[in-house]
Amino acid sequence: MSAPLPKAADVGLAGCHTCGKVSPVSLKHCPRCGTHLHLRKPASIEGTIALMAAAAALFIPSHLLPVMTVVELGETTHNTIIGGMMTFWRTGAYPIAIVIFTASILIPFLKIAALSWLCLAATGRVHPSPAALGRIYWFTELLGRWSMIDIFVVGILVSVVQLGNYMAITPGPGALAFAGVVVLTMFAAMRFEPRLLWDRLDELPATPPPNPTKPAS
Amino acid sequence: MKKGFSRTWRALLPWPRPPGGERYAVCHFCDTLHQSFPVDEGTAARCARCGALLYQNRPASLARASAFSLAALLLMALVHVFPFLTMDAATMRRDLTLVGAATALMEQDAPILGTAIILFTMITPLMLAGGMIYVCLPLMFGRAAPGAGHAAKWMYRSEPWNMVEVFLLGVLVSLMKLAKVADVHFGIGFWAFAGVMLCMAGAVAGIDREELWDRLEVAKG
Repeated sequence: MSAPLPKAADVGLAGCHTCGKVSPVSLKHCPRCGTHLHLRKPASIEGTIALMAAAAALFIPSHLLPVMTVVELGETTHNTIIGGMMTFWRTGAYPIAIVIFTASILIPFLKIAALSWLCLAATGRVHPSPAALGRIYWFTELLGRWSMIDIFVVGILVSVVQLGNYMAITPGPGALAFAGVVVLTMFAAMRFEPRLLWDRLDELPATPPPNPTKPAS
Repeated sequence: MKKGFSRTWRALLPWPRPPGGERYAVCHFCDTLHQSFPVDEGTAARCARCGALLYQNRPASLARASAFSLAALLLMALVHVFPFLTMDAATMRRDLTLVGAATALMEQDAPILGTAIILFTMITPLMLAGGMIYVCLPLMFGRAAPGAGHAAKWMYRSEPWNMVEVFLLGVLVSLMKLAKVADVHFGIGFWAFAGVMLCMAGAVAGIDREELWDRLEVAKG
């Protein structure tokens, strides 16, 4: 590494979150777009953890409760997200089963895990490489929205499959819980302040690990 | 910047620099402070420390953003006229539209889910494309529309909530589910919505956020 690059926060400058203009943080509001200026998002870790905990709590009912109820010729079946995925898998529609698995189980799960890890890194409890952090943060920002696919599928099926006595589909409470998971994890990712990760990395050389023979992973 | 140019001509020049001394750019990811300097059209400036994108100079940015947003708005009108899917089952024919999906959820005691569909597939794309055209079209003539700053702010805030492409994948999954029980066809609405998705991506990628705000600042000042 060459000479250390200056940080905006060290000289009291803040890049506006909305328009990118760099102004002294003492101005309080961005002179160009009026957004509140701050060096770091306030209470970012606490906010992220709170939103994430709520999302994790909703994740359980979202998979236990039915996302939709199908009434076919008088026979009622309650469908969960996992049940719907298993049906696709059994009937040989593997690509669709994989899409549903990725969007409704893998992404929310990985997103909560990734955000927890980022929070640990931002508070200095783990020391991963900047490249890994960058990839993880990019992943949480970009992929979260795709989980909404299940909610849209429920909406589409409820709208189209209204065939009177023959077949009808109604939404279940699981869908609401799952929508909550998606929206909460999106807010959690937005609340997170990636600059905290780099602040920690800068502190590292000054504070060597307590046990040099066994570096923290 | 040459003096004596009218506002209109200035707007057509590539990426103007707002007045006032030294300019900086801060990396949104690692907070490294950079001196901001103009880059050639079609190239980008990246953070010297972490490599994240700082800003990029897009060719024909205002024209591109306005054109793609206008196309997206026109296609959005088609989306509400033609169905996404048509299903024939047991002598009945059912059509899928965005409004139909939202109202069906509301009627079936799921008003929040219905609102989510309206918000993520109708309102945010409208805010994004409408906001873009409201800001960029007057800028092409060197003028800032009234309240353009607020429009730009809300446009960029709505961006992560725009789920057009997610809904399209949802239509495909539903199609696979329905194909077992009924005869299902794609409608013009589906293709129009796919067009909306592409045009929105073109509009957002058409102009850099920094450039849009710099041009607004120049047009206002």
